Amino acid sequence: MSIMEYNGGSVVAMRGKKCVAIAGDLRLGNRNMSLAANFEKVFPITQKLYVGLPGLATDVLTLRDTFRFRTNMYKLKEGREIEPNTFAHLVSSTLYERRWSPYFVEPVVAGLDPNNSEPFIAATDLIGCLNFAKDFVVSGTASDKMFGMAESLWEPDLEAEDLFETVSQTLLNGVDRDALSGWGAVVHLITPEKIITRSLKSRMD
Amino acid sequence: MSFSPYTQNGGTILAIAGKDFCVVAGDTRQSEGFSIQSRYETKVWRLNEKATIAANGFAADCKQLVKRVKWRLETYKHAHNREMPLKSIARMVQTMLYGKRFFPFYSYVIIGGIDDDGTGAVYGFDPVGSYERETCRAAGAAQSLLQPFLDNQIYFRNQQPADPTNPPIPGTLPLDNVLAIVTDSFTGATERHIEVGDALEMYVVTNSNCDLGALQQITQSATKTDLEQVAREEAEFNGPKSCKTFKLLRQLKKD
Amino acid sequence: MNMSNNFTSWGRPFTDAKMDMYGGDVTQRYQLGAQQMTVPDDKFSEGVQKTQQPIVTGTSVIGLKFKDGIMLAADNLASYGSLARFKDIQRLYGVGSNTIIGAAGDMSDFQHVQHQLDTLITDEYCHDDGHSLGPAQIYEYMSTLMYHRRSQLNPLWNAFVVGGVDPKSGESTLAYVDLLGTTYSAPTIGTGYASMIAIPLLRRLVEDRQEPLNKEDALDIIKTCMKVLFYRDARSLNKFQVATITKEGSEISQSMSVDTEWGFAEGIRGYGGQTQ
Repeated sequence: MSIMEYNGGSVVAMRGKKCVAIAGDLRLGNRNMSLAANFEKVFPITQKLYVGLPGLATDVLTLRDTFRFRTNMYKLKEGREIEPNTFAHLVSSTLYERRWSPYFVEPVVAGLDPNNSEPFIAATDLIGCLNFAKDFVVSGTASDKMFGMAESLWEPDLEAEDLFETVSQTLLNGVDRDALSGWGAVVHLITPEKIITRSLKSRMD
Repeated sequence: MSFSPYTQNGGTILAIAGKDFCVVAGDTRQSEGFSIQSRYETKVWRLNEKATIAANGFAADCKQLVKRVKWRLETYKHAHNREMPLKSIARMVQTMLYGKRFFPFYSYVIIGGIDDDGTGAVYGFDPVGSYERETCRAAGAAQSLLQPFLDNQIYFRNQQPADPTNPPIPGTLPLDNVLAIVTDSFTGATERHIEVGDALEMYVVTNSNCDLGALQQITQSATKTDLEQVAREEAEFNGPKSCKTFKLLRQLKKD
Repeated sequence: MNMSNNFTSWGRPFTDAKMDMYGGDVTQRYQLGAQQMTVPDDKFSEGVQKTQQPIVTGTSVIGLKFKDGIMLAADNLASYGSLARFKDIQRLYGVGSNTIIGAAGDMSDFQHVQHQLDTLITDEYCHDDGHSLGPAQIYEYMSTLMYHRRSQLNPLWNAFVVGGVDPKSGESTLAYVDLLGTTYSAPTIGTGYASMIAIPLLRRLVEDRQEPLNKEDALDIIKTCMKVLFYRDARSLNKFQVATITKEGSEISQSMSVDTEWGFAEGIRGYGGQTQ
């Protein structure tokens, strides 16, 4: 069994019309044994930018702190918030720095451009290979299931509340077929005006 | 290294039951490793007027299994002067699969058809014969992509009914909805799985009450090769022929 | 005994047989994890021999469907590991009057299959019932034989291409069967290295073609493919035969070769040292 499946967990992000959504499950496990149902894997970076970090839990925490540190340094040096595209490259180079002893995390980035509110999503593999998708990105132990869901449910130019429903259904039905993900979920809906964060109840088995 | 008698030939199959029909579908790509061997090799076979079988995994084992099933159905017909009922076919397939428990057929099998009371039925199997009657089932290379979608669309998982006093019942969707779900499932799987694609064969097993409007609509918009009635002339055992099986062929992406 | 049933290791020196073209270990590829079959041991098991590796091998066979029937080709080489051992071997074989099979893999297993097919044809002839075996029947027999032998864990170490035209219906058959009993039919077929080198060419020239393909153009396509295979497959030979099967009957040509160019490639884009 791969180290990527040691703790379990999944994240999905989607682009909508002037909005993005990112969602992750809440399970923390030790192989097949579930330990906690409150382990959030999606973290805010700026007012309009989130990162999801599914993978090895210890690396999730390390990377969360690393990204907090590096985006704080960026803000101090530049005097402005980091843009989603720039942050995606920061994620990529942070991971590639450890090319031969990688962090076992496959991050997902979702946010709105602070200048023009253009929606942005991206994902990388564990050594930082970037994937800028126009539609949706998935990551984690339920990624194959969520690919199947998202490929059928997603459509272009979804309004915020429709995007919320699409991303929630993708995540929920995906993790319900994955033994290593689930146990509740959190969805962040990012619009130019506000961020809506909702907790989803789901199957607890 | 010793000789390995197995390989995997990709592809994916799917079946959904309705009130008075059942759809059994499979893509037609056969592959080994990264090579596409054929773009049109069927994985779904009509067994009789009430049963259609789909088998996926190691193609040689699948074809051998279906050959044996057809042979057993033929001898049953000669011995009992009637077609074997669907549930009996399912039980027979379980014994045939378990009969090779220690040198298994590497096949994931789904049987779809019309049961004794005329309702659509799906039976899903694992390679050593464990089986279950269900409303829908996906199997094969893209099972993990398709099954969650079916959970959502057929079993209405994670959905709140608009009218809680009258929730939707799985297995009651009309034929046009089911055909749309099957098509969407496979176009999605084709997009994200390299072993799925080329073409989609959908067998529609219907009973006499089934509203064929959805099929007629497709007939009007489609070319002749897209719709083919598979039911052939055969000896009559159950009085007037009631069940018809139709075959729909749709092209999928070939990359 | 490091041999695999994967074609990339056939006919290669035993020392490097484990390494496939990507440098990977082919014994690890296409394996089904825990599916190791063990043969029950008995007192006489020492006396039973099974083909666990091919010895004298033939490389690819190619086949295509054209307007009037089927065309197959295979070169005349039978290799012994990396040694080009026999350079006048026929790998195309006529079965009855309307079918030709082409064989890759172990040549002694192929000769055994030839004997089996001869027996089959003779038995059928002796019935004297006016029936003869067409390509579809011969293909069914061969797939059953190959699947039966793999199920005994005693495979015939070959990949066969069966081509033929039914004399009555005019329906043409082009199909494949290998040591696992895997079968399929397609408008173009290539075994082994041809499945990687010739199939992309054949699919473009035959399957993507708009107008019907005549015999002359089909032969040109076959020659192009055999040339490219000779360039890139180290176990091939520029001496090959072409079989043509139409409704009228079948024929296997004399051995032929194609013109090749081995000049220094410095000036050719994609081969030389140019930087732009």
